[in-house]
Amino acid sequence: MTKRSFISALWFCAPFAVLIVLWAILIPYFDVNPRLFPHLTAVVQAGIEGIQDGTLVQHIGASLLRVAVGTLLALLVAIPLGVAMGVSPVVSTFLTPLFRFFSVLAGIAWIPIATLWFGYGFGAITFIIFNAVFFIVTYNTLLGVSTIPLHVRNAAASLGAGRWAMLTEVLLPGALPNIVTGIRTGMGFAWRGLIAAEMIATNVGLGYMLFVARDFYKTEVIVLGMIVIGVLWLLLDRLLLAPIERATIERWGMVQRA
Amino acid sequence: MGVGDAVKNLVIRNLSKTYFDVYAGTQVTAVRDVSLNVPESEFISIVGPSGCGKSTILNMIAGFIPHSSGEILVGGKPVNGPGPDRGVVFQSFALFPWRTVLENVAFGPKMRGVGKVEREKIAHEFLALAKLSEAAGRYPNELSGGMQQRVGVARALANEPDVLLMDEPFASVDAQTRMTLQEELTRIWEAKRPTVIFITHDVAEAVFLANRVVALSKGKVLDEIEVDLPRPRVWDDLHENEQFKSLTARVLQLVRSA
Amino acid sequence: MKTFFLTIWSGYVRLTARWPSIGSIAPFIPLIAAWWIITELQIFPRVFLPGPVDVVRSFGTLVYTGILPEYLQDSMVRLVVGAFWGIVLGIPLGIFIGLSPRAHTVLWPPLLFFQAIGDIAWLPILVIWFGYGLTTMTVIIVYTVIFPVVLNTVLGVRSTSITLHRAALSLGASRARLLWEVVLPGALPNIITGLRNGLGYGWRALIATEIIVGTSGIGFLMFDARRGGSLVEVLLGMIILGILWYIVDAWILAPLERATGQRWGLVTQ
Ligand SMILES: Nc1ncnc2c1ncn2[C@@H]1O[C@H](COP(=O)(O)OP(=O)(O)OP(=O)(O)O)[C@@H](O)[C@H]1O
Ligand SMILES: [Mg+2]
Repeated sequence: MTKRSFISALWFCAPFAVLIVLWAILIPYFDVNPRLFPHLTAVVQAGIEGIQDGTLVQHIGASLLRVAVGTLLALLVAIPLGVAMGVSPVVSTFLTPLFRFFSVLAGIAWIPIATLWFGYGFGAITFIIFNAVFFIVTYNTLLGVSTIPLHVRNAAASLGAGRWAMLTEVLLPGALPNIVTGIRTGMGFAWRGLIAAEMIATNVGLGYMLFVARDFYKTEVIVLGMIVIGVLWLLLDRLLLAPIERATIERWGMVQRA
Repeated sequence: MGVGDAVKNLVIRNLSKTYFDVYAGTQVTAVRDVSLNVPESEFISIVGPSGCGKSTILNMIAGFIPHSSGEILVGGKPVNGPGPDRGVVFQSFALFPWRTVLENVAFGPKMRGVGKVEREKIAHEFLALAKLSEAAGRYPNELSGGMQQRVGVARALANEPDVLLMDEPFASVDAQTRMTLQEELTRIWEAKRPTVIFITHDVAEAVFLANRVVALSKGKVLDEIEVDLPRPRVWDDLHENEQFKSLTARVLQLVRSA
Repeated sequence: MKTFFLTIWSGYVRLTARWPSIGSIAPFIPLIAAWWIITELQIFPRVFLPGPVDVVRSFGTLVYTGILPEYLQDSMVRLVVGAFWGIVLGIPLGIFIGLSPRAHTVLWPPLLFFQAIGDIAWLPILVIWFGYGLTTMTVIIVYTVIFPVVLNTVLGVRSTSITLHRAALSLGASRARLLWEVVLPGALPNIITGLRNGLGYGWRALIATEIIVGTSGIGFLMFDARRGGSLVEVLLGMIILGILWYIVDAWILAPLERATGQRWGLVTQ
């Protein structure tokens, strides 16, 4: 088991090793202007410097904090709201289009209005993340709860489940596949929204780091930032969100999908 | 039966149900003036063509839908809402996909507040009764239809209900499996002697299982027929049994004449 | 009382069954009414939350002056061009990776990684390479659309069953025919799902790009208005975006997805 996952991790990394070697050889070979694309060594050096003087850590910390706060707040509101609306077929039928509309709009499109309401800074950016996650998760929770078959709810009731047990034993687990998918999608939009918002509306964070570097043609910082952004999201998505999705949904056989 | 005894009988008096059909905007009367008296430990089958109101009656007894007029008394107490005194086995199984087989069966005791060790003991006992001990750790979607329905029966029984309500529980399994399940159900009934209301449109099944068959048509009771076939009942014996054949023919004629 | 409510609900259900679009418009009526009342009562200052009437008025002005149609067209053209190239490059690439296990081993990890970098993060370096302009925007949108399309196509191709391949080959299909008759239709539901996701990300990327580097388009309209402190046009822009995307998603992409996936029973959801 561990040996197999180790080998598959090796296979996963192998193509990157090739890419990095190519990068290390080709850029100096063709003598590419560092203002267009940086040398590998320059990026590594920028990384080490960023860690040593703490700026890189600070940017990463700021971005992650915003994502964590925004997402957490959104989930705290969205899941109870979605469940409450989903249990009534009348309410959920009526409100579905509304939440669909807002989940379509969620994220980046709110940047201008968010900066007006909250000013430039932590508030506006956290709001963007909140909003990207909130609408999509609410919509998905609503959908998930309203698609739990009536006879499953009836079964629980006839086995003696009260309101609280109905919520924790039936409604939440039944909607969980949808909720997890919603969180994954919502966070995908939120992560991109975060980078965009940080370019516009703040003075710390990964997006800001990229955008400022562009002013000075510091391509090594830009590329470093891109790599950090990619790695962070990959870790978040593959190590946290996707496994949860797989562990619950596939084993339960509730959704068969990629 | 003395007054005040905790008896597990079921009494239905002048029961009617009128639906409001949201899609047509009209009233539909599905059950008219049905009266039934089911003593403790009797096994009753209700047969009738599709749409004659069988499920409606069962859902009212289970408390899933309110009745329009009349009375339903379980052990002398009027029914209002679903409760653990009436166990239900559903045609579509209605197992909780997010719970293992064992946890599904232990659900009722859990709702009653039985501790983990104790309720798993109960669940194992009823799984053994349903010949499912090996499947305890699996999830419902990893079982065949026949096995899933045995879990359904075990789950309902594990709650020790006064009355067991079954709505075409074997309709969606193949013919061979169905016969096995029927034989097992009679075996389990003889072991535990619950009061059973069994709904089906299969006349042979109704006769095979029951002490009494109630024929239903267009929401009304046509007639009730006593079945005094010897027990234990197995298909190998009954196939050639003249009494079984004539009873089946009588019920069939009754149902078709309406 | 209960029957009264049921009668109303029944009327609503039958109405929306006959005209489904009523069902998707009706819930907005109370929302807009509430918005209108809140702004009339001046609970929030008007600069912070303009009312529906102001938005409609500004819609009229912007249409009349021709700015809105022009910007809308700019945005749509960018999205369509981006989507077009995303599809044209993405599907063949996806089929290639899906059919060749070797290509899959080599290309799958970088694909995941480059998708994870995300469109917007490319903006600074693209601006250095191509300047502020159409090229930058197009690259961003193609980049955004292509990954979901490729990844889903690969999944679709890899999930068409080997039995189907064998059936087609034994019925005399050539390799090329196999591709056209079996692999492509088999992967189509996934491809459309990918396209739907891709466009979902794509138009968000477009808005962000227009906000940051734009000179025209709805995103630019919104951010320009924000800079001038005029919330009316920001709201107008959001509403237009919402309606536009809602129409594309709910009336074109989702039905297309349903038509292929559910019709053929390939997608189980
Ligand atoms: N929720 C409902 N709203 C309106 N009418 C209903 C509703 N449920 C059932 N009916 C109607 O009541 C009648 C009886 O339905 P019921 O489900 O009890 O039939 P059934 O005997 O169980 O049939 P089957 O053997 O097909 O399960 C049918 O005419 C049906 O159309
Ligand atoms: Mg029925």
